[in-house]
Amino acid sequence: MAQFYRVLFFLLSFWVSLSAAQGQVTEAKLISGDFQNLTFESFARVLENKTGYRFYFDPAQVDSLRINLLVQEKTLPQVLEQAFKNTDYRFALDAHQRVFITKGRELTPNLPKDFFLGSTPNTPIAENTAPTPNRTAARSRNINQSELKVYQIGQGTATSDKANLAGHIRESKSGEPVIGAAVYIESPLIGTTTDQFGYYSLTLPVGRHEIKIKSLGLKNTRRQVQLNANGKLDIELEEDITPLKEVVIEAEKDKNVAGMQMGLEKLDIKTMRQVPTAFGETDILRVVLTLPGVKSVGEGSTGLNVRGGATDQNLILFNDATIYNPSHLFGFFSAFNPDVLKTVELYKSAVPAKYGGRLSSVLEIATRDGNKKQLAGSGGIGLLTSRLTLEGPIVKDKTSFLLGGRSTYSDWILTKLPNSVLNQSKASFYDLNAHLTHEIDDQNTLYASGYISRDKFKLGGDTLFNYANRTGSVKWKHIFNNKLYGVLTGSYSHYDYAATSERNPVNASDLTYSIDQNQFQADFSYFHNAKHTFDFGLSTIHYNVAPGSLQPVGPESLIAPDVLDREKARESAVYISDKFDISPRLSVNVGLRYSLYQALGPRETYQYAPFISKTTSSITDTLLFRQGDVVAKYHGPEYRLSAKYSLSDYSSVKVSFNRMRQYIHMLSNTASMSPTDIWKLSDAHLRPQVGEQYAIGYYRNFRANTIETSVEAYIKNMHDFVDYKNSATLLLNSHLETDVINAEGKAHGVELMVKKLTGKINGWVSYTYSRSLVRVNEAATSDVINGGKYYPSNFDKPHDFTLIGNYRFSRRFSTSLNFNYSTGRPITLPLARYFADNAMRVFYSDRNAYRVPDYYRADFAMNIEGNHKVRKLAHSSWTLGIYNLTGRKNPYSIYFKTENGRINGYKLSVFGRPIPNLTYNFKF
Amino acid sequence: MLRNNNWAQVKNNARPVRLKTKYKKSAAYTRLLDLLSLFKYYLVGCLLLILGSCVEPYRPDVIQAPNNYLVVDGFINSNGRTNIRLSRTLNLDGANIPPGEANAQVLIEEEGGPQFRLVQGNNGNYTSQPLQLNPIRRYRLRIRTADNQEYASDFVENKITPPIDSISWKAESDGLQIYANTHDAAQKTHYYRWKFDETWEFTTPFYSVREYKNNQITDRMINVNRCWRGSNSTTILINSTAKLSQDVVSEFPIIKIPSNSVKIKYKYSILVKQYAQTKEAYEYAETLKKNTENIGTLFDPLPTQLTGNIKCLSDPAEPVIGFVSVASEEVKRIFIKRGQLPIFWGTLDEYSYCALDSVELKDVAATFASGLVLPVNDILNEMGSTIGYTASSAECVDCRVRGTIVRPDFWE
Repeated sequence: MAQFYRVLFFLLSFWVSLSAAQGQVTEAKLISGDFQNLTFESFARVLENKTGYRFYFDPAQVDSLRINLLVQEKTLPQVLEQAFKNTDYRFALDAHQRVFITKGRELTPNLPKDFFLGSTPNTPIAENTAPTPNRTAARSRNINQSELKVYQIGQGTATSDKANLAGHIRESKSGEPVIGAAVYIESPLIGTTTDQFGYYSLTLPVGRHEIKIKSLGLKNTRRQVQLNANGKLDIELEEDITPLKEVVIEAEKDKNVAGMQMGLEKLDIKTMRQVPTAFGETDILRVVLTLPGVKSVGEGSTGLNVRGGATDQNLILFNDATIYNPSHLFGFFSAFNPDVLKTVELYKSAVPAKYGGRLSSVLEIATRDGNKKQLAGSGGIGLLTSRLTLEGPIVKDKTSFLLGGRSTYSDWILTKLPNSVLNQSKASFYDLNAHLTHEIDDQNTLYASGYISRDKFKLGGDTLFNYANRTGSVKWKHIFNNKLYGVLTGSYSHYDYAATSERNPVNASDLTYSIDQNQFQADFSYFHNAKHTFDFGLSTIHYNVAPGSLQPVGPESLIAPDVLDREKARESAVYISDKFDISPRLSVNVGLRYSLYQALGPRETYQYAPFISKTTSSITDTLLFRQGDVVAKYHGPEYRLSAKYSLSDYSSVKVSFNRMRQYIHMLSNTASMSPTDIWKLSDAHLRPQVGEQYAIGYYRNFRANTIETSVEAYIKNMHDFVDYKNSATLLLNSHLETDVINAEGKAHGVELMVKKLTGKINGWVSYTYSRSLVRVNEAATSDVINGGKYYPSNFDKPHDFTLIGNYRFSRRFSTSLNFNYSTGRPITLPLARYFADNAMRVFYSDRNAYRVPDYYRADFAMNIEGNHKVRKLAHSSWTLGIYNLTGRKNPYSIYFKTENGRINGYKLSVFGRPIPNLTYNFKF
Repeated sequence: MLRNNNWAQVKNNARPVRLKTKYKKSAAYTRLLDLLSLFKYYLVGCLLLILGSCVEPYRPDVIQAPNNYLVVDGFINSNGRTNIRLSRTLNLDGANIPPGEANAQVLIEEEGGPQFRLVQGNNGNYTSQPLQLNPIRRYRLRIRTADNQEYASDFVENKITPPIDSISWKAESDGLQIYANTHDAAQKTHYYRWKFDETWEFTTPFYSVREYKNNQITDRMINVNRCWRGSNSTTILINSTAKLSQDVVSEFPIIKIPSNSVKIKYKYSILVKQYAQTKEAYEYAETLKKNTENIGTLFDPLPTQLTGNIKCLSDPAEPVIGFVSVASEEVKRIFIKRGQLPIFWGTLDEYSYCALDSVELKDVAATFASGLVLPVNDILNEMGSTIGYTASSAECVDCRVRGTIVRPDFWE
């Protein structure tokens, strides 16, 4: 029944707000509706929405009042009269559209005209006066008391008519900061959301306010404040352990419409857990791939193609440190342990000025801070991997730690296989996370985190490959005052791979590659006033790349040592952006980032004859640069503009324009990411990539913000991104410029999305139409592909449809269904055969002229949880899933080969039949 | 012509650059990559085969483009006869060998020097006189087809091939592996290509002593039980020593013969031919190999358009398939006898379906007249007189169906 009324209320308020939007000028609005068993508070809210009147009353006085009313086109006084019939409640209306409800005696709101000359009262006469504990509410007395207690903020009397209130929002059980919680007052509507530290800053008129706080999965709360001057208010939110059957998640529910950001996809771990995966373990990259505008070339590949961009155009930040290879085991697993994650944010279009260095997107992955109150742990046991996480306080409420580890037993599985080649093989990986948070005092907080991931694999006792990511970051957050805080971040990222072959002593060799990145950045946020929020800062990155070395192994090896010169470079940037709320409806975010890139010596570079294709035979000279010399310099502005215009409370339009510059390029001769891909810095020949994106979006929420819909369209141009000449050599090539070409790219698309994240049935549906095209036409040097015309890029998949659906039967049993369709990716097909060198050979079509068959997959998962007793030693759950329910043999790779003089085409499917999986998860 | 000359000029003006960094293609490294591919293949095999990974034939119906491009197959032999085969591309469906291109005029042209005409043979083959080409000059191939289209290759440097040091072999657990070994003391070759001709001895299961000739059974005069047959290399065999400190090729695998192959039942011989290549020719061959011979893996490089060094002079956009290089040929032959191989290696019987039948005298004419069934030996009764003949199908009796009884002149 309760749900029925809630729905009724939502419908009503929705309808009411619609009609309210239509005729705001009408003086005496008529009210119609069926109000059944409403609390007076809800009733008052409906009437407020409907009439524009503002209600003032003491909640304690009206808590026992239930409204049962059926009205047809009545005025407000008529309605109230009817509602209060046979009760001792009285009401009074004044000229400022205020309604005062009292018990027992009536107010006379309108004083004699000459009583006050020209002055309006600063605060309402009666607004929640005399807070008293509310005995009927089920909440704990503590919280309730803090909700009703009036907090005095600031000393003495106000010096100006506005003051600033700032503080942290934390979860009461673990002390974790709450990101993205909405903090607002309703009249006038002023609000903000907490940042990544759970920090908020609000500039409000001085006086009495009710601050409301809402966040996903946490109980909504409010605080009564008497704001006298600038001050602080830290607020703790309780986890929403709802005793009822349904959970209402209200946090940020209008973020889609009201938020400034466009092209931002935010996922929390709860949402990610529901998406079925091939191996049963939550995989964030796999979930990100279900979002509109994000694609990959195929299964078993974690390379993301965001809005027609290449896989190297995504900045993947893990606790502020760049990750170069986000996958384990050739991309069948992502390199992030789901248990330590807090949020994943993907910026597709309006990338904040703070970020730079990649063309297409920023994927920001943040781990939790660790439980500040008590020791806790969680983990999971799956068919291929297991993981364990521990967290807890070192100093209660001040210092906390988080440790996570994950490993696979595929090595062990390999030794059990009957094939001798396979059981000499190795395939293993692990990743480790450590995170420390220390609150020095109110003003200073220190964060330190480290991450290691490593993969090893070997085939039948031959070549051993391994690759590793290592990152570390230290962050110091300092709050200068309520309005200004700064974060200093130092981070280090490392990626390397090695291939060691020892089978043939003559060819025994060791090939290595590595990249190191040291980054320092300072970011500041300044909450100037209610209208302006400034973000500014600077950053500098130092790259040090060992682009390849081949060393002989053992005395018999004839391999000549070949070590390519190290590449060094510095990338620096300054930025400033202003979030300017011009009016409650219109706000803009204007940002400028200026980046400067210097390729540094020592280095040898070749000069080539002009106007012909760069080849080793067109080298004319060799230039030698010494340590510290600037080999090449590139710089340029990056504009970040976005604007939001609210059409109504439930709909808005947003536009954005972005320019991005990218100075580091991934070179890969394969369509998907593979561990031997190399990252190459821009130099005298390889220009930086520059991309521009124009985007427009329309957002509309339905059913009281429970259903979000959006349409976004974009156009993107990419200049100087890297493509390869035919049969390019990328490894151990000291003159890569002879094998790569700068290509032009353009992409455009429309993304539609309907999302429902609450209720028994939740999930999202998205459809994307997009194109991504490439052109290689350097007529001057005759480097031309496909006759210099635009051709589809490797990841051009025009139609893409995704459905993520969850149905919760009960609090302990839920199911998910995932459906995915996309156009097949482009392929270069053989067109003709010919006979040469005693065998049939193939003549290939223009690059990417055809497509592989369409991709289609459905997955199913079931989540069974143990009982939900709040006090219990450990909570556990089982995840049972079937990946590729229909067993469709989606093509991963299509290839042709000459066998016995005939040309045969083959289609390789990776997951060609339904794959069951089972994982046991626990939490203590 | 004009374009080529310009290009040559620029190249001649170029200042010399240290060779160390000029050539960066390593066969050893390519091998690493191959292994990586292979590993990925196996990874899929072991971890995912269980989970349903599979390979299926794929035949899209788009491959019906009406194309008919000239294909030039062969190389200019700087020390002997040059053989070039001209043909056309065909659509993919089917396995027939495309017919040769007839009535073309084919010339070898020395840069700023004489021309040597190739004479048309059958099936698109054009052959020159034995030539001795100047090792310091550059040569090209010119073609004028019957429909008056003119084609020319780039001028190519004449590479001198170092001799083959040895052809070695090893009996491995599952077969006979044959290797080539060579070196260039001058350290100038770096890029190698091999082709080979194999020959082996074989026998049919039934030794025939009778023959049906002129409507009667006679004694067979020629032994048709033992023959020789051969085959040519069909894969692209290339290797580079550019990454090695010395120009030495050690044990480059030429071919692996399964231990149960009929090729090594009696005696086997292989003639390995070696050619020095230019870097460009090597890269062309490597791409061709990648495009058409690569193992199907998860992470295959994308197939690439192949651009050879032959162009149509009237329409430079017309694709022409082939890469003409100029080199001398070095050959070496070895023999491997059954006795040199492990005694426990059994041979797969390529005639396992053959059976002996008996033919009564009254049926002799009807059975043997067609020549599809051949007599093997007499069937005698207790008295010792012939009452019929044992017989089998022609290919089970006469080895000439599959090979030749002419003993090759090189056979030891």
